[in-house]
Amino acid sequence: MTITEPSTAPAEGPQGPPLISLHGITKRFPGVVANEAVDLELRAGEIHALVGENGAGKSTLMRVLYGLYPPDEGHIEIRGAETKIATPRQAIAQGIGMVHQHFVLVERFTVTENIVLGSEGGAVVDYGSAEKRVTELARSYGFGIDPKALIADLSVGQQQRVEILKALYRGVDVLILDEPTAVLTPSEAEDLFDNLRSLRADGKSVIFISHKLNEVLEVADRITVLRRGKVVGETVPAQTTKEKLAEMMVGRPVLFRLEKPKVEVGEPILEVEGLEVEGFVKGVDLRVGAGEILGVAGVEGNGQRELAEVMIGLRKPNRGRIRIAGTDITSGSVSDVRKHGVGYVPEDRHNRGLVLDMSIWENAVLGRLDDKEYSGRGGVLFIKRIKALASRLIREFDVRARNIGVDASTLSGGNQQKLILARELEDDPLLLIAHQPTRGLDVGAIEFVWKQILDQKAAGRAVLLISAELEEIYELSDRIVTIYEGRITGEYAPDAPPDELGIGMTGGRKEGTAG
Amino acid sequence: MAAVAPTRTRPPWVDVIGGQLLALGGAFLFAAIAGALIIQAYGVSPVEVYRIIWVYGTSELSDVGRVLAHATPLIFSGLAVAVAFKAGMFNIGVEGQYIVALATAAAAALTLDFLPAFLLLPAVLLSAMLGGVIWALIPALLKVRTGAHEVVTTIMMNGIALSLVAWALLNPMRTSDQGVIDLRTDIFSTKALIPKIATTFGLEEQIPPSVHLTWLFPLALVACWLVWFLLFRTRLGYEIRAIGSSSGSAEAGGISIQALQIKAFLISGALGGLVGMNSLLGDRGYLAHNYEIGLGFAGITVAFLGRNHPFGIALSAILLGLLARGQDGVAVSFDLPSETLIILEGILILSVVVAYELVRRALNRRRKHAVRTEESSAVPRERADASS
Repeated sequence: MTITEPSTAPAEGPQGPPLISLHGITKRFPGVVANEAVDLELRAGEIHALVGENGAGKSTLMRVLYGLYPPDEGHIEIRGAETKIATPRQAIAQGIGMVHQHFVLVERFTVTENIVLGSEGGAVVDYGSAEKRVTELARSYGFGIDPKALIADLSVGQQQRVEILKALYRGVDVLILDEPTAVLTPSEAEDLFDNLRSLRADGKSVIFISHKLNEVLEVADRITVLRRGKVVGETVPAQTTKEKLAEMMVGRPVLFRLEKPKVEVGEPILEVEGLEVEGFVKGVDLRVGAGEILGVAGVEGNGQRELAEVMIGLRKPNRGRIRIAGTDITSGSVSDVRKHGVGYVPEDRHNRGLVLDMSIWENAVLGRLDDKEYSGRGGVLFIKRIKALASRLIREFDVRARNIGVDASTLSGGNQQKLILARELEDDPLLLIAHQPTRGLDVGAIEFVWKQILDQKAAGRAVLLISAELEEIYELSDRIVTIYEGRITGEYAPDAPPDELGIGMTGGRKEGTAG
Repeated sequence: MAAVAPTRTRPPWVDVIGGQLLALGGAFLFAAIAGALIIQAYGVSPVEVYRIIWVYGTSELSDVGRVLAHATPLIFSGLAVAVAFKAGMFNIGVEGQYIVALATAAAAALTLDFLPAFLLLPAVLLSAMLGGVIWALIPALLKVRTGAHEVVTTIMMNGIALSLVAWALLNPMRTSDQGVIDLRTDIFSTKALIPKIATTFGLEEQIPPSVHLTWLFPLALVACWLVWFLLFRTRLGYEIRAIGSSSGSAEAGGISIQALQIKAFLISGALGGLVGMNSLLGDRGYLAHNYEIGLGFAGITVAFLGRNHPFGIALSAILLGLLARGQDGVAVSFDLPSETLIILEGILILSVVVAYELVRRALNRRRKHAVRTEESSAVPRERADASS
């Protein structure tokens, strides 16, 4: 497994003395080295992306810088002077702020109250002048935020901006953003990038943690890649490509363009007619044939969850018909639907996919105990057979786990998803319903999941792919429909331009396509 | 090459068992020290008090008998609480379930008197379980039909059970013997009683009749094993644990949550029905108005201390039996308020709970890191031929 290390030669970019430099940072946890001799330089006025797979040590490194973890070895220099940062408060005093993936805002406070919280500066808070400062800050960086608005009334994207303002209010020069786009819609992400650019124009520096390569290439000035706790390279967007970055992250070439198998579309497997779920799904018609992948594209919260759940039997429809290979399964229970050959990869793998505090082998038979292979007449489990099944599944789907006896909660997101896929595909279902199958996964795992879905098609199975990720929709679908407020708003060929899909995803009907 | 520190080679279960033992040891030590401070405040030597507890609980066969007799009902009530808890429900109603079961068992013992001994005793025990089941069925149905929370309904059912049995003792079940002023039933025939272990083995010399250690104790241990088998070796137990840990995932796997909740609650009620049997059939031989109460609530403590695991429950019930026996010794040996040992018990339970939680978090942290390293250091395998 020798990898030709990509060039680490100093690249062009905003020049200037380093504002912050990390020297030989090593951080160990019991049994694990999370960061090993990491060097990192951050210059004034740059957006510096830190990329790597889940568990590569990105967040740990930033927690060291933000004073949340003491490093075991190495030191931090700020403006050339060695500095000890033992607490977040000291980090902020040194001009370093961090916005976590999960916001820490008080819902029932206003924007200003939240921003002031923790730096009130005395017993009596001067909200008037605080509000003025917040307004000025928001205006100067182009954040459209009303300082008097309640947090509960703001969108996720706006709440994130409040978190950023909170740091700026404390006068930081360096902003660390941990996976900031994970919670944003594509257009909200674009707005965030504009905000980051105006921060840069003002001389602030941003460290941007991400594993989404497209956005890193779009917004970053410099990119540092971590793998297994070590820096494997530093580059600039102009000198690299998505493929090269992915190879550095994963340690082997990653295929982004997967070969779509050519399969003749056969008999209809899934037929949905006039499906209604009160308040969520409004008269949906769908049809997926054998060997076909139908992509349902849409912004989250437009009835996709309810659509998926009504098809697998978790909800009852108010009206409409669902047929699997000609058999009517409308209003069937989950186990009825599964018996007719439907596999389900839920969008929420923690609350719909796995029982996290049960073992891998126990999760491998969730929903399969009607099979006489795994439990006897008296209801006694055939544990040896179940364990053999689980061992085979984790081998075939490359689930990385210490053994099949560990709890599912100890697996990484990618491995959890592989375990679900392995289980759901084990019976060779006629139809696979895959809802956001790659959410939160890293490049390597995404590639694996996509390949499994394409393999289903190659085997002549039908797949209903519901996703908010356009890239995923384009990568896999043979046909695309858009969903908006519970209605199908258009049908498209797999090479239709994104702008056209965008119209369907925001409610405009495509000419000549009846819902 | 990979960022792996010299890794531990011991298997993960060593950490788990070791961690739990460490937690238990630490909790005992902490409770002993905290208790010592309180005992010391009364001017009594804590070491001496602990020694007396141990001596009273273990020095003679009859002491061990008392400890185990005390543990018997606690095992059943702990199991009853644990089964419901595994399904994600709090059965606070074990109290009411065993009180109703006292009445149904007493009714069976009196009315089925014509049966031969080998049929009568099982019939009485079954009636007790049936009483518990009936009393559990009502809150279970209310939960799945109307969404009424089982904590609220079972507490109400406890109150109803008390009043119902009081009424029954005043009216239909009251002894017809005019000479008895006590509020009680007729006395059961001896063939309805559970034999004492001492009698069976001819140990009456060492274990006096005041020690009510009956064959119900081994039966309680069998019940522990049965519950363990149910939970960890059968489909029903698997599904109970699945809905208790993640009802959403269980539902998506095709498990009917409501049906399972009812089943789990009824099993809990059946176990709860046996809680009062040791005193009814091993001691008194009749049901009187001053029957022992609080055993159902004690079951919550037992289940908690035993980590809701059937074997842990057996151990924690015996431990509480030991402390209860120790209370007798402390009362006669020292000038200490009897509440001291109750406080000690409370400290012990709290420290065990906290210690387990600390160990659990430490293990989780360690596992997460360990798994991540393994993932990132594992060599990517060829997956092209991996599809099924």
